[in-house]
Amino acid sequence: MKVKMDNREKLFTAVAGIFNVDPASISEKSSPDTVPGWDSLAMVNLVAELEQVFDVQFDILEIADFHNVEIIRTILADKGVSFE
Amino acid sequence: MTLGPGAWPEDVRRQIAEAFESGRISLMRNALRAVQALPAESRGKAFRLGIVRTFTIETQVDVLALALDALPCQVEIKIADLENIEQELLNPASDLLQWQPDAVLVLWRLEELLPALASSSRMLTLEQRMTAISALQERVELLARGYSQASAAPLLLSTLPLPATVDLRDLHDAAGQRQAVEKINSAILECAARHERIAIFDFAGWVARTGAAAFDRKMDLYARQPIAAAAIGSFALFLARTLRPLILPTAKVLALDLDNVLWGGVVGEDGISGLKIGHDFPGNIYRRIQNHVLQLKQCGVLLVLLSKNNREDVESAFAALDDMPLRLSDFADIRVDWQEKHRNLAETAADLNLGLDSFVFVDDQAFEREQMQFNLPQVTVLPASEDPLAILNALESCWLFDQHRVSHEDLARSQDYQLQSQRKALERSVPSAETFLRTLHLCARLVPVSEHGIGRVVQMLGKTNQFNVTTRRHTEAQVRAMLNDARNILLSLSLADRFGDQGIVGLLIAVAANNETLRIDSFLLSCRAIGRGAEQVLWTALLSRAQTQGFGVLSAEYLRTEKNAQVADLFDRLGMEPVSCDTRRTEYRLMLPHAAQVPDWIEIFDESENG
Repeated sequence: MKVKMDNREKLFTAVAGIFNVDPASISEKSSPDTVPGWDSLAMVNLVAELEQVFDVQFDILEIADFHNVEIIRTILADKGVSFE
Repeated sequence: MTLGPGAWPEDVRRQIAEAFESGRISLMRNALRAVQALPAESRGKAFRLGIVRTFTIETQVDVLALALDALPCQVEIKIADLENIEQELLNPASDLLQWQPDAVLVLWRLEELLPALASSSRMLTLEQRMTAISALQERVELLARGYSQASAAPLLLSTLPLPATVDLRDLHDAAGQRQAVEKINSAILECAARHERIAIFDFAGWVARTGAAAFDRKMDLYARQPIAAAAIGSFALFLARTLRPLILPTAKVLALDLDNVLWGGVVGEDGISGLKIGHDFPGNIYRRIQNHVLQLKQCGVLLVLLSKNNREDVESAFAALDDMPLRLSDFADIRVDWQEKHRNLAETAADLNLGLDSFVFVDDQAFEREQMQFNLPQVTVLPASEDPLAILNALESCWLFDQHRVSHEDLARSQDYQLQSQRKALERSVPSAETFLRTLHLCARLVPVSEHGIGRVVQMLGKTNQFNVTTRRHTEAQVRAMLNDARNILLSLSLADRFGDQGIVGLLIAVAANNETLRIDSFLLSCRAIGRGAEQVLWTALLSRAQTQGFGVLSAEYLRTEKNAQVADLFDRLGMEPVSCDTRRTEYRLMLPHAAQVPDWIEIFDESENG
């Protein structure tokens, strides 16, 4: 139970930290359309932050799919990060 | 390494160190916010850095800001649009130059400068490639020359990193990528050698030291952001090190322990024959340390020997080991006794008339380092250990002595401070201060500040702490702006005596507040020149010029700092009227004309009068 909370929280906190918004305002549906400042340049920092926080490497085509937080969560889960 | 000045709260400094250790952008931003929340007076002077670049760095700008803020300074960074290099740098009306940066950094790489060559050198004929390379060399030169006309702020040109991939054919190509990088870098280095206001940011050197970790190809292709997230911290620190000499004064004194620092072994125990300072291991390490120290001395750093030993043992060791790089005569002060080192160092600082924060201390003994740091927290204690290689590394990686260029004054300084001790000896042997001054045969030269002397003026404004009434750290651009108004009076003074020429040691800047009132902006003397009457010479020259130009009132202020107590009553002594006063500041006025006396022990040459 604890693990699930932790990783989801880590993901939301990382996203909020990079775009400089309140973590409570982030949800699975958050995307460039709903988060101010989520543009392609800020994405670069998001990728770096997530790679460091979860100790994973995204490949370049995965980054192109980062359309919302839910997709990012799915990609992280594929890399063995547990959200269950 | 420790980041942020020692006077900052420990938790902020730890936050900065952790941010750089982790490399995480979010921690960098938090640390930057913590630094920006500190009181402005502890954060150093404002500094505007303009960046023109051929690749994305704006996403990483907070990391650059954090490294620079930790120097400390209050940095503002403005990044120009991608590839707008000439547009921003050659036009005085460009957005970037209008913003009045204190320095401008050019970040570029071959990929954008010569894309056809960088992607595949075989797309072009040999002749086309050769033409492209020489055109780019010319572009660098034109940029350097054109920029000097458009702006006075120092320009930092980066070197181009070498191509990252292995390509044996390219190495043997007369106009391949490798040839292009080497030739263009050589043109860039030439510019810095020729133009005083151009400095080098050694991007290529940083990449070479950082290796494959420097770049992230994925992010380069995705967003043209080549510098890896894991490496941007190290990049930012290297940029801060490169810019530091433009922002903060260089440390002036290196205080060195002797045994197990400048040679292996303890002279009092091992004897001269037991000391390790030969060309073979382990003597070769100590020899390297001595060579490094000697090199610092040759760039104007004063050396002080702080050793717990019998003086005779040390003197005979230096005499017997006469092929060592260092001689006893290289030290501006020698303190070999059994007194605590911090007491010796404090005495040295008083004798040389230098603030403790211009001292760096090296010792192999943790006890000595800690005792020094505890008693004299202003002194920088290098993180050395008993391992001589750690001592050499600590010296080589110390930022505090870094300079872009060595000035005439830097070269003369060491000799000058040795003369200082001769002057002190003479002072003790003659009865009164004035009689003593007469024996010096002082000769002062008044030189109106001109474009040519701005560099030295800015250096003095940046370094002088004690005899300095306002401690304003003007930039080159600010001094130039003052020069542009003919009513302003900017005077420098150089001093010579029978022991030698000290070069420019005094500066007085007065600006026209209105048609009636002239206001003293800055008035300073280098500590080497205090007590000779030089301030009287500058003062008298100012009064006579002010009168000639028709000013009726002279105003001035004294702004108290931790270091300038000795000039708290300077304007009173010169005959000005205090008009208001609080704990930090005293305001003065003087109606003109006003008669003042020049000390008769100084011979004065006024360059503006002699044409």
